[in-house]
Amino acid sequence: MRLLFVKYRHVFNVGLQSNIVYRWNFALRAAFSLLHLVFVFVLWGAAFQGHDTIGGFSLDQTLTYFICLLVLQFFIGAFNEDYQISEEIRNGLINQFLLKPINYFLYRFVIFVSARLVSGLLALLPLVIALPLLGDYLTFPDEPWRIAVGIPAAFMSAMIQFTIAYIFGMLTFWFLEIQSFVILSMAIESLLGGQVFPLDLLPDTLFRISQFLPYYYQMYFPAAIFTGRIDQAVAVQGLAIQAFWVVVLLGVANLLWQRGLKRHTAVGG
Amino acid sequence: MIHYLRIWLASVRYSIVRSMMFRGDFIMWALVELFWMAVSIASIAVIYQHTDAVAGWTKYEMLLLLGTSMLIQRLLMGLFWSNLFEMGRNVRSGHFDFFLAQPGNMLFMVSTRKIDLDSLLNVFVALAVVVYAVGKLQLEPSLADMLTYALFVGCGVGISFAMLLLIASVSFWTIGSQGVEGGYFTLYEFSRLPRAAFSGVAKVAFVWVLPTVVVTNAPAHTLIHGLSGTYTAWLLAATTAWLAIAIGVFQRGLKRYSSASS
Repeated sequence: MRLLFVKYRHVFNVGLQSNIVYRWNFALRAAFSLLHLVFVFVLWGAAFQGHDTIGGFSLDQTLTYFICLLVLQFFIGAFNEDYQISEEIRNGLINQFLLKPINYFLYRFVIFVSARLVSGLLALLPLVIALPLLGDYLTFPDEPWRIAVGIPAAFMSAMIQFTIAYIFGMLTFWFLEIQSFVILSMAIESLLGGQVFPLDLLPDTLFRISQFLPYYYQMYFPAAIFTGRIDQAVAVQGLAIQAFWVVVLLGVANLLWQRGLKRHTAVGG
Repeated sequence: MIHYLRIWLASVRYSIVRSMMFRGDFIMWALVELFWMAVSIASIAVIYQHTDAVAGWTKYEMLLLLGTSMLIQRLLMGLFWSNLFEMGRNVRSGHFDFFLAQPGNMLFMVSTRKIDLDSLLNVFVALAVVVYAVGKLQLEPSLADMLTYALFVGCGVGISFAMLLLIASVSFWTIGSQGVEGGYFTLYEFSRLPRAAFSGVAKVAFVWVLPTVVVTNAPAHTLIHGLSGTYTAWLLAATTAWLAIAIGVFQRGLKRYSSASS
C-alpha cells in the first residue's frame, strides 16, 4: 500500500511540474473566463430587469451560481485530458504502460488531479483581483451541511468529468479522430451540465429528467449545493445517484480499455 | 480578379472533394455545429420562459439577433477559420514557406486555401432561424432592407475576419496563439446580446472599441426598425479600419518571418 502511494506520489509530482510549465496557458484561459463572466453579468442583468427573482432566485444568487461554476470548472473540469489520452494511444506512447506495473487509469487520474490543482489555483488569481467588483454580488448560504455534502459531491464530479474524458480518449482505439465527438459532447455537457443556465430554470419535467443523467452531476450538482439552489434531501439523494454514475462510468472505462487493448497494435520500438 | 476567382474556385473544388472523401467526418462536424447552435437557441427559450424581454428585446427579436450572430460566425468559419487557424501553426513549424512560394497575393493565398463545407451547410440553418424569427415578428422588410442586411452581415464577416487575422498574426512574434484563438469565441459570445443591455465601461469596451456587439445588432436592427444612418456609417468605417489594421499587422509580421526549418 505504502509502495503504491509512493509510486503515484511521484506521478503527482511530475504532473505538478509539467503543468506549472503551462501556467501562462492556464492564466490566459482564466483571464478569458473573466470575459465570459462579463457576458453572464450583462445577459442576466438585462434578463432580471423588472424582476426581483427568476426561477425563485435573485440576480445575486444567479450570479453567485455562475461565479461558483467558474471556480469549479478550473478545479474539477476536464480540459484536454481526452486529447492527451488520445495522443498517447495514437503515438504508441501507451505501450510503455503495458510493460510496467502501473494502472493507466490511475496514472492519468493522478496527473489530472495535479493539473487541476495548478489550474484551479491560477484561476483564483484573476478572481481575487476582480473580487472588489464581484464581492457585492456574492451571496452564499451559511449552512455547514453544504460544505460536508458539497466536497464529496465535487470530488465525484471530478471523477465523472475525468472518466468521461478518459472514455472519449479510449475511442481512439476504434476511431482515428475523436475531436468531433469531444466537441459534440461538450455542447451537450454545457447545456445539461448547467453551464448555459442554472438547470432549475428548465421546465419541471425536463429538470426531473436531467437529475437522472450524468451531466447534472458534472458541474451543476456541486455548484447548486454550495450556492443554495437545492435542499438537503435533494442533495443527499443526488449523492447516491452521483455515486451510481461514478461506478457505471468506471465500468464503461474499464471495458473500453480491455476491449481496446485487444484491438491495439503496438508499432515502433 | 478573374485569376483569383479561378484560384478560389479550384480551392473550393479541392475542399468539396476532400469533404466527400471523409464523409463520416463531414457529417460529424456538421452535427457538432448544429448542436452548438441548438444550445444557444435553448438558452433563449429557457430565459424567455421566465421573462418577456431582455433589454427591451422580445423573444423573437432575440432569436433574430442570435440567427444573425450564427450566420456571421458560420460564414467566417466556413470561409476563413481553418485557413487562419492553420496559419499560426504553419508559421511556427516553417510550413509557411509553402505560401511564400505561391504566385499571388500572400493574404489571399493564406486565407482562402480551404473552405469548411460543414460550416457553410449550417449557414442555411442560421438563415432558416433568421427567416423563422422574421416570420414570427411579422416583419415585411423591403428589398433595400434585405440588401442592407446582407451588406451589414458582410461587414460583420469582414470585421470578424480582421480580428481573427490579428490574432493569427500574433504567431509571427510569439511561439503560439492557441489560447488567444479560443478567446475569439469568448469575445464573440457578446454578439448575441442586445446593445441596450450594455452600460458604463462594458458599453465602451464591447460596443464601441471591440465591435462584437454592433456587428450583429446593426443588421438585426435594420430588419426590425429599418435603416439607421448611425449604424451604417459606423459599421462601414469600423470594417475599413479593422481590416486596415489587421492587414497592416499581417504585412509587418510577414517581414519578420524567418523559416523554422533547417
